[in-house]
Amino acid sequence: MLNIIGLQTLISREIQRFSRVFIQSLISPWISAFLYIVIFGVVIGGRIEMIGDYRYIDFVLPGLVMLNLIQASYQQGAFSLYMHRFQGSIQEILVAPFSYMEMLLAFLGAAILRGIIVGMGVYMLALLFTSATMAHFFLFVFYAIAVAFIFSCVGLLMGMWSNNFEQLNILNTFVIMPLTFLGGIFNSISMLPEKAQIFVRLNPFFYFVDGLRYAMIGVRESNAVGGFVMIIILASGLAVLLWYLFSRGWRIKG
Amino acid sequence: MDALEIQHLSKSYRNNKAVDNISFSIQQGEFFGFLGQNGAGKTTTIHAVTGINTFDSGIIRVCGIDVVKDYKQARTKVGLSGQEFNVDIFQKVEKILWFMAGFYGMTKQARATRIEELLTIFELHEHKHKTFRELSGGLKRRVMIARAMVHDPELLILDEPTAGVDVELRHDMWKYLKKINSEGKTILLTSHYLEEVEYLCSRIAIIHKGKIIAVGDKDEFLKDGKNLEEKYLELTKNI
Repeated sequence: MLNIIGLQTLISREIQRFSRVFIQSLISPWISAFLYIVIFGVVIGGRIEMIGDYRYIDFVLPGLVMLNLIQASYQQGAFSLYMHRFQGSIQEILVAPFSYMEMLLAFLGAAILRGIIVGMGVYMLALLFTSATMAHFFLFVFYAIAVAFIFSCVGLLMGMWSNNFEQLNILNTFVIMPLTFLGGIFNSISMLPEKAQIFVRLNPFFYFVDGLRYAMIGVRESNAVGGFVMIIILASGLAVLLWYLFSRGWRIKG
Repeated sequence: MDALEIQHLSKSYRNNKAVDNISFSIQQGEFFGFLGQNGAGKTTTIHAVTGINTFDSGIIRVCGIDVVKDYKQARTKVGLSGQEFNVDIFQKVEKILWFMAGFYGMTKQARATRIEELLTIFELHEHKHKTFRELSGGLKRRVMIARAMVHDPELLILDEPTAGVDVELRHDMWKYLKKINSEGKTILLTSHYLEEVEYLCSRIAIIHKGKIIAVGDKDEFLKDGKNLEEKYLELTKNI
């Protein structure tokens, strides 16, 4: 039987843990995003011609929302689990009557929530400078939750695998950040040489950013079905892998 | 029914056999001492019982419930005060207890009542708004035991609960543990203070290099006029 009160408590504790350091977990990404919006969207963007029918700030905003949503959900998953392992407080959870699925749901729930809060905060900040349209609301919700889910899973996997803070940051520094920036946050794929476009189309982050951009401003450069299928495969594959590792106690049990 | 039943438990870390085919049981209401030097396998055994460790082979039952097959139910029966401070050190005392009680499915009302009781018993009222890292060693131990008891478990496991605790508090703790044991609580205690084990426990097991080398009533250990420390050294000396 589902330990509902336990699950609620574990999620609320994880939320309390990231709220306790809200300057780092929430304010800091919002300030960075604000600066991106002002500099790239308003100052530089004002000198860039329209991309299709859209102002540069409107074109770049979905990518900024996605960038921050990815970072926040990844960091919550990775740092939360790693810190529990590092402090030994993972034992509090292991001795309690939680199934592995409940543990996983709690960690994922908190990480997805942090990703969504940060992403929504960026969107609200953008309203100061642009109308920040929403062409397809339900698609927006789908992309936001699905991508937050994927990166919460990736973060938890890194939180399980890492043995020190340096390892914890490896994936973000060498994979997530470069691929996000190269995934079309600041530019349309049509601005790139043809050969470079092939590489961009192999980058899954391009589909995340492009999907959210379609949901927000109604313009799309990727194959919608391909992107959708890739997200579903990634999300389910990561969830199964994570559940398997959790249920074996990989790196969380002695 | 036994409060704890361990049959043929083995656990290795790579090539090191930490626990080697051990078996023993603890009857309900017993105060059981589990002795052994550092690295003998005490904590590994306790972690296997509580789900912190996996184990390679054997069967563990808590109040008749298999800790692998019915692990969720088994865990409701056990409370653990670990040897290490395995807690979020930035969390406030009251919150540590609050969250732990919630993990065990206690309603908010039940949690509030129970936490109030525990804060009184362990004299933690004035410290309830302090973070764990702000507490002294003795207070930290009290919080750990209070946390282990928050769901009123049938089997309370105390892994070196008085390490780093001053004499006064240790005696207060002994008094309290005696009291709850006399009320029916089963307690498994590990300690390097053998006079503590001698004073509190009615039955004792000694684990040495991963194997149980002696288990029996305390009186059997003390029958030739030696105290527990002398007997312990004698038993472990030549193995």
